[in-house]
Amino acid sequence: MVFTIIINVQTKAQVVTDSTAADSALLKQIEAQMNSSQPAPVKTRSGISANPDIGVVGDFQTSYISKGKKNIDAYLNETEVSFQAVVDPYLRADFFVSFGRDAETGKYGVEVEEGYLTTLSLPYRLQLKAGKFKEAVGRINPTHAHALPFIDLPNAYVNYFGDGLNDEGFSLSWLLPNKKFYQEFIVQATSGRSESPSFMKSDGNRFVYLAHLKNFFTINDNATFELGLTGISGPNDSSLVTNIAAGDFTYKWKPVQLNTYKSLTWQSEIFYSSAAYTSTISKRSFGLYSFIDYQIAKRWFLTGRYDYAQKPYDKSIIEQAYSITAGWDATEFSKIELEAKTTDYNNQSRFYQAWLRWIFVIGAHGAHQY
Amino acid sequence: MKNKLIVCFALLALSLNIARAGIIKVVTTTTDLKSITELVGGNKVSVTSIATGYQNPHFVDPKPSYIISLSSANLFVTVGLDLETGWSPSLLSSSRNPKIQKGSAGYVDASDGVGLLQVPTSLNRGEGDIHIYGNPHYWLDPLNGKVIARNIADGLERIDPSNKAYYESNIQAFFSRINDKMVEWQAKMAPYKGSKIIAYHNEWCYFERRFGLEIVDFMEPKPGIPPSPSQLVKVIKEVAANHIKVIISSPYFTTSSSDVVAKQTGVKELTLATSVNAFDPIKNYFDLFDYDINQLLTVLK
Repeated sequence: MVFTIIINVQTKAQVVTDSTAADSALLKQIEAQMNSSQPAPVKTRSGISANPDIGVVGDFQTSYISKGKKNIDAYLNETEVSFQAVVDPYLRADFFVSFGRDAETGKYGVEVEEGYLTTLSLPYRLQLKAGKFKEAVGRINPTHAHALPFIDLPNAYVNYFGDGLNDEGFSLSWLLPNKKFYQEFIVQATSGRSESPSFMKSDGNRFVYLAHLKNFFTINDNATFELGLTGISGPNDSSLVTNIAAGDFTYKWKPVQLNTYKSLTWQSEIFYSSAAYTSTISKRSFGLYSFIDYQIAKRWFLTGRYDYAQKPYDKSIIEQAYSITAGWDATEFSKIELEAKTTDYNNQSRFYQAWLRWIFVIGAHGAHQY
Repeated sequence: MKNKLIVCFALLALSLNIARAGIIKVVTTTTDLKSITELVGGNKVSVTSIATGYQNPHFVDPKPSYIISLSSANLFVTVGLDLETGWSPSLLSSSRNPKIQKGSAGYVDASDGVGLLQVPTSLNRGEGDIHIYGNPHYWLDPLNGKVIARNIADGLERIDPSNKAYYESNIQAFFSRINDKMVEWQAKMAPYKGSKIIAYHNEWCYFERRFGLEIVDFMEPKPGIPPSPSQLVKVIKEVAANHIKVIISSPYFTTSSSDVVAKQTGVKELTLATSVNAFDPIKNYFDLFDYDINQLLTVLK
């Protein structure tokens, strides 16, 4: 339309000043274009603006816990702002700034949740990340919380990683030249600056080192299986070393033809930790979770999860929890979830929790991992 | 004799290797692009498509296994216009293949130069899944197939200039076949010009315009929003008021809502193909229109 108007304006201007044969040829050309059933190509394309893709994810929650005085709460849990773009022919950059609510103080704070560059053109099927990023431990850790099919995090995961292992440093990934199935090997070295229950910044130059091997198998068009193995070693709060071994198993069934209507995911992760507290005392512990997420209909999801966790500092304290989450995905840009959870400790009485979460997205929103 | 045979086999193996080394590896996002690439690229290309022909191209799962073929591809062909925005950018950046990144010689946006329909003047997600660059289902007009073929040929010629004459001769053959088939398809559809129909999703506007149909309404109240009871009531009234004969849908949508309308009004339901390989008989881009037009004729008659 704008194109046509511009042409019209130009034509009129020319008609006034000059009405030569060339001009009438132009008029004929425009006339032909107007009469043609094929509309003129519209050249409104991305790249006109140099701004990165910007998105905002809101995460509003209400919660209930069957113990304590203040046991019902409502809060904007997190506001995540993302900026994502290709930097130049060699790099892309991803930033996620989180305005989050501190669970203890209730105060809102700002944190760079992730901010990293990724190379696009390294040789030998290598890819390097540098900055602050969610580390490659299995399946939950690299996923942003709003994309998970439940509201709380599994107990074992929280015991070892808190809100997540999300640290500053380098990550080098190699796509193995395997034509049969997808295999990726990742090594990461991070400073430990972003503290987690298992790891923290050392007094010396000891970094947190991580290695992850991802194996992804296509069973058929509708089903896939992923097996991941992770090893992490880094300084802990006793200025000694904690080693963690983890494994993840994910089976997904998503019928290609009706993949927006029905799907099933069965995902489990196991964690084994060996933490040195003194030169002679080392604590070993184990934990796991397993969930099944079933898509009942286009918008409805149901997730059941089991958690088993030994406390990292004392494996005789055992937590077991069962939870069920119902999710309603209105569109790709909003969903509501309701979760109920029961937790048993072997040294205290059972308690119950429930959450309601409303996720809403404006602006750009990138793809989630498969 | 034995030595000669060995030499012969060695030479054969060597020539096969050379031939294979010269093959351009192409990954396309959809089967329609695969078919057109094969028609233009002939025996110089080996093509794989990420999406199948019977799957919703908006919602392809970005499985890591697709990265294997992308990592060694020489050319990547995309429908563009944000059709694949939920999955292809993440696969591309994970491919570690600089040859096929956006802006590189091996990246082909098949929509370049297509006359677009339904380009919005403002963007408001309250209107459902609106595509900011216009409706991206442009391959369903066979004349746009020519634009797609031109873009693919340009891409092949950029990375393999030595075979330019070959690609140009193939594209001319493609153009003339499209011209011949267009005459046949237009003639078949001519008696039904102006036929009013209902569609499930807003993905037929290019087909509608080319073949003179008139889509009165959609089963989805807004693009991407599942049919609501009030929308069904509206559609039932429209079917009766306009004597509509058919509701067209695609293989990746369920028919439960159109079943209701059909039961109430007697309107016929038709699952058309939106892409090559949606159904067994559809082996290439020409078969796609043969199939859809023949199916439509059975209900519009």
